[in-house]
Amino acid sequence: METLFAIGVGAFGLTTATYLASLWSPREQVGRGARWLLATTLVFWAGILATWFARHGFDGGTRLYLGLSAWSLGLLFLLLLRRYPIDTLGSFVSALACVLAILSLLVSRTEPVSADLGWALWVHIGLAFVGVTAFAFATAVSIVFLIGSRMLKRKSHNPLRKRLPPLDVLDRLALRAIIVGFPFYTVALLLGSVTAVRTEQSEVRLSYLVALASWVIYGAVLQARLTAGWRGRRAAILTTVGLCACLVVVAQYSLRGGP
Amino acid sequence: MTELLVLGLSHKTAPVEIRERFAIDAAALPQAATRAREAGCVESFVLSTCNRVEIYAAVNDADAIGDRLPDVLAAAGDVRALRRHAYHHRGADAVHHLFRVAASLDSLVVGEPQILGQLKTAYETCRGAGLTGPALNRTLHRAFAVAKRVRSQTGIGRHSVSIASVAVALARQIFGDLQTRVAALVGAGKMGELAARHFVQTGVGELLVANRSFSRAHDLAARLGGHPRELDELPRLLVESDIVVTSTGARGFLIDRKMMKRAMKARKYRPVFLVDIAVPRNVDPKVNDLDNVYVYDVDDLTSVADENLASRRREAEQAEVLVRQEAERFLREIAGDAVKPTIIALRRKADAIKRAELERSRRHLGGLDARQLESIERLADGIVNKLLHDVLTGLKRSAADPGPIDLAEAARLLHQLELDEPNE
Repeated sequence: METLFAIGVGAFGLTTATYLASLWSPREQVGRGARWLLATTLVFWAGILATWFARHGFDGGTRLYLGLSAWSLGLLFLLLLRRYPIDTLGSFVSALACVLAILSLLVSRTEPVSADLGWALWVHIGLAFVGVTAFAFATAVSIVFLIGSRMLKRKSHNPLRKRLPPLDVLDRLALRAIIVGFPFYTVALLLGSVTAVRTEQSEVRLSYLVALASWVIYGAVLQARLTAGWRGRRAAILTTVGLCACLVVVAQYSLRGGP
Repeated sequence: MTELLVLGLSHKTAPVEIRERFAIDAAALPQAATRAREAGCVESFVLSTCNRVEIYAAVNDADAIGDRLPDVLAAAGDVRALRRHAYHHRGADAVHHLFRVAASLDSLVVGEPQILGQLKTAYETCRGAGLTGPALNRTLHRAFAVAKRVRSQTGIGRHSVSIASVAVALARQIFGDLQTRVAALVGAGKMGELAARHFVQTGVGELLVANRSFSRAHDLAARLGGHPRELDELPRLLVESDIVVTSTGARGFLIDRKMMKRAMKARKYRPVFLVDIAVPRNVDPKVNDLDNVYVYDVDDLTSVADENLASRRREAEQAEVLVRQEAERFLREIAGDAVKPTIIALRRKADAIKRAELERSRRHLGGLDARQLESIERLADGIVNKLLHDVLTGLKRSAADPGPIDLAEAARLLHQLELDEPNE
């Protein structure tokens, strides 16, 4: 199983490299090849995750959810490609998926879940990962926005500028991804609090505070965007900061071995 | 066997006052091509654009017809002037030239996409009139395919090279689709009008035109299909418009940072693209420091256009290599086709001899079982194939690289071959 996960990580790495090559190559075939490679990688990952679930069920939950996040990030991108001209996002999305896949490779705990924690814990983790996946996508889009906006402002002659998707499309995509991810993340945090109370955890861990901070950041981004009309650079920077906070929580959780 | 000829004038060989004398209306293209047929061409096709007039012909006797083609093209003009400025190519050079024209490598603005459409339209007109045949059809279809390959495999047509089109391309990088966007033209300068016209042609949702003289704004708006506004309404215009083209003769900045900051707040920070074509500039460059505001002045636009042009030139070098390779491959295929009937006839004759000899041997030997018969057949096949192998290889090689002796003709004479009638 470890070898299969390692191959899966390698496939995401190769996809990222091909997408990066497509940014600089004028040949359409390179871009088509990268898309094809991503689709193949996703099929492969679906097989790995199904096998992992069949063997370990929810006992291998952390790895499963991290793998699922990487997989759904790639799938979301391929689905959105049908509607938006965002080919150049491929390198950023597949790089993020690659990071999530590497995390899933490093975290291989399969210890059984305590009966006390039950379904609530796994629903909490599942929803949190859906939220984080959506935020990760919003961040990938926001980073591309920041690069594109900076290039346009500075009148850069970098050929990459002409290949990036329109800024307005990126801005809208980032907003939609946060709108989708925020409710999942909110419910996940609520369930996490319930789980903490049920397991009678009295101490307030740093991860709880960081998780709460990330929720506040995304809430603020949403509020500012929807009511005050915030958009562009400031929204993109805050979105990126929000994901960093989320990833700190995920990393703490993964390394410590539970909530 | 037919040979391809091309005779023409282009922006490279003739000034516009000469080219316009020989230009042919789209409707008159078949007549011109018909004159070529009457002059002895087997097939013909005429292309006439603002940058070139060319006649392509498939002929049996290139030397004789080549002399008559200038008269065909100069039916309405001065043949001596035509001869002075015309170029002509034949055979491989003509194919290479056609491929270069289709791929926009011979265009005034290298990489412009219109030429391929013009070539296709002219070809369809002449084909519809029954003036083209298998030779030209095949060559032109290959030219279209080569042009498509050049566009997809090189970046020759990727970037805009005029200031107006650069402005539109930049607007697309900010907004994507322009159909829902409002553009405003401030001032009535020639360059501004050109840029605004470009935005309208691209399909911008709405155009507002503001000028110090309202009547001038009114006239310009009517010409461009927009709505006139007073110049005093500029602050409101900045709130309503996503793209603002400024082209006034005002001394000092018309749009400063403070005005734009207020407009951005009112716009709820929706992005705005300011195209400042005026000299002296109408927009304070500090406005570009504001979030979601993108300011490009005439130097910025020129610099992008120059960079794009240089990029096209670099891509054109790659495209030239590709076109040359494609032309060589096409010519090899054509030459290979020329020896095909001889190869087929030679194989057919060898097979007939083999079958007759096998039949005679079977009768003579009698009582052979299936295994023995199969063995004899294999032996005969082996002898025939080995004898033919060098001959066929030589024929194919001679097609690609003909020497002083016509090997196909020699094979036909030596083996007394009867070739199939060519089917079109």
